[in-house]
Amino acid sequence: MALALNKRYLQYFYEPVAESFEDGFWQAIKQKRLVFQRCKNCKEFLHPPRPMCYKCHSYDLEWVESTGKGKIYSWVVFTREVHPLYRVPFEVVLVDMEEKGVRFISNMAEGKPEDLHFGMPVEVVFMPINDEWSLPWFRPVK
Amino acid sequence: MTIKNKACIVGIGSTEFSRVSGRSEIHMAVDAAMAACHDAGLKPEQIDGAVKFGTAGQNCTEFTTETDVARCLGIRNLRYFVEAPWGGGACCATVLHAALAVANGMADYVLCFRSLKPASGTVRYGRPTRVPIDAHWSYTMPFGFASPTSWVAMITRRWMHETGATNDQLGWVAIVCRENAVRNPRAIFYGRPMTMEDYYRSPMLCDPFRMNDTCLENDGAVALIVTTPERAKHLRQKPAYIIGASEATAWDSYCMTSYYRDYIGIQEMEEAGKELWKQTGLTPKNMDVVQFYDAFTSLVPMQMEALGFVKVGEGGPFCEGGDRIRPTGELPINTSGGMLSEAYIHGMNMIAEGVRQIRGTAITQIKNVEHVLVTGGLGVPTSTLILGQGR
Ligand SMILES: [Zn+2]
Repeated sequence: MALALNKRYLQYFYEPVAESFEDGFWQAIKQKRLVFQRCKNCKEFLHPPRPMCYKCHSYDLEWVESTGKGKIYSWVVFTREVHPLYRVPFEVVLVDMEEKGVRFISNMAEGKPEDLHFGMPVEVVFMPINDEWSLPWFRPVK
Repeated sequence: MTIKNKACIVGIGSTEFSRVSGRSEIHMAVDAAMAACHDAGLKPEQIDGAVKFGTAGQNCTEFTTETDVARCLGIRNLRYFVEAPWGGGACCATVLHAALAVANGMADYVLCFRSLKPASGTVRYGRPTRVPIDAHWSYTMPFGFASPTSWVAMITRRWMHETGATNDQLGWVAIVCRENAVRNPRAIFYGRPMTMEDYYRSPMLCDPFRMNDTCLENDGAVALIVTTPERAKHLRQKPAYIIGASEATAWDSYCMTSYYRDYIGIQEMEEAGKELWKQTGLTPKNMDVVQFYDAFTSLVPMQMEALGFVKVGEGGPFCEGGDRIRPTGELPINTSGGMLSEAYIHGMNMIAEGVRQIRGTAITQIKNVEHVLVTGGLGVPTSTLILGQGR
């Protein structure tokens, strides 16, 4: 269960693209690391990344390693195919990360849709997509 | 100083709403514009301003330009033109911009229009047939999170969790809109009723949304003409006065996935509502009928809460059984069938229905209408409009 890619359609994978200020996020993903942007000045997390801290207007921003842990905030279950790469049924989860104020959209690597619940603890696991990309998916914390 | 009673809608026009229009978006836009001119009693060449839909993150652009329309209608030149962005969020904003223009002498007669061909054209709104190139989508698309239904389903599940709203209550929204469409010969679902059984039988698309929670996908165009009350005196129709209008973003607004703020709701509508009530001095109690943007069933009770028609947590129960939102109820909604059951023209057909309610010419006409509220699309920056009988 969880998301099983139909690799026949791998050519249709939507390759992430990045503006200069968010390139660090995606470069880390390519190295199977989940990082979030944080303001060096006021320590506010900024996700998705921005060129400037909205809180103190500092440009001095850094990439901070995530604990990879969070809790399910909401989710949907695709039951009708909209993209051939993604076999239905599969879940898209919105995870409240341990990093304050950071939410992350992702997929489930393990488990069943009916087992998902609000506040469910999950942890990141990198799933290889193609030669270039692995993506941070989630699995239930055992 | 406000926009109140300084501008009015004097013409409405539309094509037929269909699954296959058999003609181009430009052709439909021109058909709707001509119909609006005839309705108003204007010569097309008198139009000297235009407001079109702009882009929403490069996803749903209006492909028909104001120049496409001008060269067909024989308009020598437009002296005012502007785009309202954010897809369906733009609908009431087109009238807002037109009102500002005519009230300030920037144009005499402004045409607002939307032409859509998702049913038989190359761009299907429910499906990722075009790959958006803005980097924001990198946080959604690689995870197969690729349909408007799924993006609104995400906020709907959380809202149902927070408020206790039920699928039955969403079903009642769909059923009441369908009842209104069944009486409306323009509606795609004219004469085709729906029961709660039908609602539950419709296929699950993206849990928690079934097919019958989602709006239509159709071809069609709607055009509106805005001018001043002075000019309206010489025209054919009873004017629908613009009493107030608002646009709003909210904290950390994104296109469809504003998921990174405290609560993933429709804060854009909360902001638009605050501005609208402050600007007009009116309250939800003054609204005799509402055309709620209903791309998805849940957006109706969510907007009732966001705009202060009911308290948070009461939107779902308000729709239960349908009686309070039926034409005979305390808050009649979406009297033409809405976008769930009349047609999906990014809210412009809802404004046209608002105008008919003010004129007294709607098929499902509410009695003694003083004010109509129309709302714009959600999940995006949005807009609102109050139409009224005027002075
Ligand atoms: Zn800062």
